[in-house]
Amino acid sequence: MKLKDVDVAVIGAGPAGMAAAIKAREAGAENVVIMERAEELGGLLHQCVHNGFGLLYFNQDLTGPEYGHRFIEKVMDTGIQPLLETMVVRLDEDRQIGAVNTQEGYITFKPKSIVLAMGCRERSRGALNIPGTRPSGVLTAGTAQRFVNVEGFVPGNKTVILGSGDIGMIMARRLTLEGAQVEAVVEILPYIGGLIRNEVQCLHDFEIPLFLQHTITRIHGEERVNAVTIAQVDGRRNPIAGTERTIACDTLLLSVGLIPENELSSMAGIQLDPVTGGALVDELRQTNVPGVFAGGNVLHVHDLVDNVSWESELAGESAAKFAIDGKQGKRGEIRVKAGRNIRYVVPQTISGQREATLYMRVSEPEEMVRIKVGDIMTKGVRVVKPSEMLKIELSAEILKKLKEGTKEIVVDCEKRGGK
Amino acid sequence: MAKDKTFICVGCPLGCEVTLTINDKGDVVGFAGNKCKEGEKYVLEEYTNPVRTLTATVLTEGSSQPLLAVRTSKPILKTKLVQSMAIIAGARAKPPLKMGDVIVPNLLDTGADLVASSDLSS
Repeated sequence: MKLKDVDVAVIGAGPAGMAAAIKAREAGAENVVIMERAEELGGLLHQCVHNGFGLLYFNQDLTGPEYGHRFIEKVMDTGIQPLLETMVVRLDEDRQIGAVNTQEGYITFKPKSIVLAMGCRERSRGALNIPGTRPSGVLTAGTAQRFVNVEGFVPGNKTVILGSGDIGMIMARRLTLEGAQVEAVVEILPYIGGLIRNEVQCLHDFEIPLFLQHTITRIHGEERVNAVTIAQVDGRRNPIAGTERTIACDTLLLSVGLIPENELSSMAGIQLDPVTGGALVDELRQTNVPGVFAGGNVLHVHDLVDNVSWESELAGESAAKFAIDGKQGKRGEIRVKAGRNIRYVVPQTISGQREATLYMRVSEPEEMVRIKVGDIMTKGVRVVKPSEMLKIELSAEILKKLKEGTKEIVVDCEKRGGK
Repeated sequence: MAKDKTFICVGCPLGCEVTLTINDKGDVVGFAGNKCKEGEKYVLEEYTNPVRTLTATVLTEGSSQPLLAVRTSKPILKTKLVQSMAIIAGARAKPPLKMGDVIVPNLLDTGADLVASSDLSS
């Protein structure tokens, strides 16, 4: 294995890492390696056997494995060196990588630039503090997805799902089709967490009961979960006494949010955004550590894989340029601040010198709004929801409107018609 | 006697609740609740011919991978999803297979094939 002259090292070979590596090669980086702890390229796409991938990127309705296949082939065809079953365990501020694999033990090398593409992991029961016993049969929706779609067994017969994120709803349908009973999907918010098409095609199609503004207040069972108690919640998401009901089940799936996996980033001294859980980046997706870029769910949790691919291509291209130039591109210093009803904006800073793609999410659903980017751009949007990302392209032309010495741009989601 | 049927449009994030008024012959005579024309088209399709792409897995024989991901080559009638699963449960995939290879032709006479959605090696 020759790791002496690596131009770009990509950590993670899921959709983000593959897109970044391919783009880095296309942008002229000679020696690109992609490091992956699993045995194969593709990441989570293998277990996402459902369709709905690639509608934007390929203009085709693909399954997860089909979407992954297209990128895997390209990785293999473009002369990228895949390092499989290789887990990066160390990342230093000077871009030194430490990794382990079974062939060579501990390896270290220093690439010219790095793309972080480690993705995200699921929030688990420990993060929720649900009272009750601690029986088996309580697992995250993604773990259940792996059991059902890759390993070949259904985790239980009567399931309750907490959280109405897309993975939860997709598992509700999948388990139903495999002959299990899904007793309820329980969502604490007054609206579903995932996409509307999943509410219709996963829940309504199979008449799976959805309890909005409800949560689980207790888990029952000794060896194995045998029931959960659910209750309605008030406006502050506190359970309302007297509304409890108990649902018998042998499995509880949690679909309650995803957390970007940034342990390596922290190790390298990369500053994180407390809202996204990912790195603070500029429009090139460069972190505060020169030559380290990030893209995909490690940066912020995306709604669609198509957006993961696009964003990571940007990170890959930037990393290639950094590796070739050898000098630090001028990092953006104009702060992009989340204003009214905007939960976050990525990138958090821009230079104003070159085009920038902003991704953002709102805090609350709203209709008939406009997204206002400082005083340089507005865009009308009919409806915004926390589950769907908004993408705003700021062309170099638009950015010319920025006044000299601008230090901050506020992005607001304003009601149309009113003030 | 006219009756109503309500659908949620999935055409965009608005998710309009669209109510169809249906006359005693079963014909659609009115739409309410949709905010665009696309919504009418979608809901009419959902009323007359609701179709879905079915995705699942089949058991393998002779592969280190226990399951193969599969899909229908085109969307099939929603009412045939559950019946299709019974056939899929009985199907077996033997390597080598390439993505797109037919596992069950003309699934339940829907005109759609059940095809591999990834490669399968031994």
